[in-house]
Amino acid sequence: MKFEHFGRTELLERSGWPIMARELTKTLLPGVATRRAVLGGLAACAVAPRAFAQDAPIRIKHAFGEAVLKEPAERVVSLGFTTHDTLLALGVVPIATRYWFGDMPYGVWPWAQDKLADAKPTMLSGEVSMEKVAALQPDLIVSIGSGISQAEYGVLSQIAPTLMQPEGMGTYETRWAALARIIGQAVGKSDLAETLIEQTQAKFREAQDRHPDWKGRKAVAAYHNAGETGGFTSTDTRGNFLVELGFAPSDTINQLGKNSFYAGLSPEDLSALDADLLVWVSSFDSVPDLVALPMRKLLKAHKEGREVFASTTTAAALSFGSILSLPYALSQLEADFVAALDGDPATPVASSVAAGIAP
Amino acid sequence: MRKAAALMALLLIACFFTLCLGVGNAGPADLWSVLLDYDAANPAHLTIGAIRFPRLMAGLIAGASLGMAGSGMQALTRNPLADPGILGVGSGAAFSIVLGALLLGQADTGVVSALAFPGAAIAAGLVFALGGGLRGDVGPVRLTLAGAAMHALLLSLVSAIVLTRSDSLDVYRFWVTGSLAQAGERPLLAMGLVAVFAGVLALVLAPIIETLSLGTTLARGLGTRLVQAQAGALTVVTLLTGAAVAVAGPIAFLGLMVPPLARRLAGHNLRMEMLASGVLGASILLFADTFGRLLIAPAEIRVGIMTAMIGGPVFVWIARGLQREHHA
Repeated sequence: MKFEHFGRTELLERSGWPIMARELTKTLLPGVATRRAVLGGLAACAVAPRAFAQDAPIRIKHAFGEAVLKEPAERVVSLGFTTHDTLLALGVVPIATRYWFGDMPYGVWPWAQDKLADAKPTMLSGEVSMEKVAALQPDLIVSIGSGISQAEYGVLSQIAPTLMQPEGMGTYETRWAALARIIGQAVGKSDLAETLIEQTQAKFREAQDRHPDWKGRKAVAAYHNAGETGGFTSTDTRGNFLVELGFAPSDTINQLGKNSFYAGLSPEDLSALDADLLVWVSSFDSVPDLVALPMRKLLKAHKEGREVFASTTTAAALSFGSILSLPYALSQLEADFVAALDGDPATPVASSVAAGIAP
Repeated sequence: MRKAAALMALLLIACFFTLCLGVGNAGPADLWSVLLDYDAANPAHLTIGAIRFPRLMAGLIAGASLGMAGSGMQALTRNPLADPGILGVGSGAAFSIVLGALLLGQADTGVVSALAFPGAAIAAGLVFALGGGLRGDVGPVRLTLAGAAMHALLLSLVSAIVLTRSDSLDVYRFWVTGSLAQAGERPLLAMGLVAVFAGVLALVLAPIIETLSLGTTLARGLGTRLVQAQAGALTVVTLLTGAAVAVAGPIAFLGLMVPPLARRLAGHNLRMEMLASGVLGASILLFADTFGRLLIAPAEIRVGIMTAMIGGPVFVWIARGLQREHHA
């Protein structure tokens, strides 16, 4: 479970960083001030001539304005914490990725590693360094789900056309299908994007067809992190994953967490988590505190062996919520969902047994 | 005597609230049945026995320890705005926890919480050495300056780790503000023993520590061995703070706001003040935790946030009081 990226915007604005960055950009690209000029400058030093130049530029409207590309992007900096997954799925290896969490090379997790192959993108960690981004000379910056501010956007969009989340969307609310469509358009692979979306949806559909009994049964994705326990709402990528498999969300959790993406609960009453299927999403493989959680032992879902444990990598796949990670999560969890929901409390759920949370 | 009885009554009410109030459906009526016939399948029994009782114990240990440590620290540094955090003890504990989480990759279990202890001790030792302890020349100002520098250094190291590694952030976030919610998984018995030992030691050393607050010249004139007295006071504060951090994480402002209140009740006698600080500290922490559980129910507000919310205004009140004394 990750709750990061809070409060960075205000800090940056107060520190006068955007102005500094703008100055830096000018220093790096002397005599260049406008976006048009930047593009011109970059086009002049582009490595290879483009094979196909489109007649009409690609225009993508978003929350902070509009990205205009003369031709499909090739040198792409991926600033969103998960957007490199989508780019890799579309066969575009980004020249830079953003570090979110974990010890994966270039921030690329197992579900996307074969698409990365031998490429060695620059991994950007911590705050976005405008200087580094400018030095990479991108022709597109994918900043959807990056948490950058409007002021930072102002600087980035002078370096290269920059994509933000669609208008009216929260910073981290762009779901995998919408993301694939937007990025597909920017790299000139809209048809491929539609095909991939269809393939991914088919995987969810096939899972529903294999398990018609899942339809309408209540499922909750829950966390327990250092003394705080709660559930993810169905607007969250983890809760949404269960809905896409046909499960019904918990109205109690959705109601309690209606202004957020999760609902915190009292350790004295965890009854809101009691569902037909209870999926614990954890940042760790070993969870002595969850094993010891007193009220969990009174949940029917626990007593009847309907708990599933998503440990580090599977949990990360759920948190990434990308076009590549969700099918991976499904493949990791499907057998356990079946074991949990077979109606027999005695059937062992492998992940719960491994984590020591099984009854 | 009447004041002592009032303090004890306050503590008893705090204990009663802790055991009987909360989201879970368990009240005073269940207390007896829990004691007589404990049933782990009964939600009310589980709530009182496995959730609220460990919270009570952790609250008593952490609250009493921080109250007494605050009194010790204020006497040692002759600064009524000092608290255990000011000598880098709290940030030392936090630093070793984050470092432990980074190196061991552990969830915040007993191993990580136990790391708070050596961290606090090493930080206090370094501050003592930097403050001139090795040359036998520790003044309150030097000690406070060394502590503030150590505190700043350790906190920036913590930030450096946390900002580059978000998995250690996951662990650290819950150590930035203390909580009694995980009391059941903390080494309560061991830390309780440490706290009792350090508390007794504090009461024994109180008269010697008290001479320190008269100033080094006068203290030396009274025959106090300065270095030993200061080292003793620092040991007591470290043990008390370490025990508190190990069961509840860092809790802001408690060590700061309790001693001035205790001084009003107990007068200028450090031994009595420390006793009052212990009782008051435990009571305030338990009240803060109980209200934190009820304010935004069913979710909880961490007790470290509650004490900061109460402590902020108290801090201003103490500081304003000081200014008036100064002008008078």
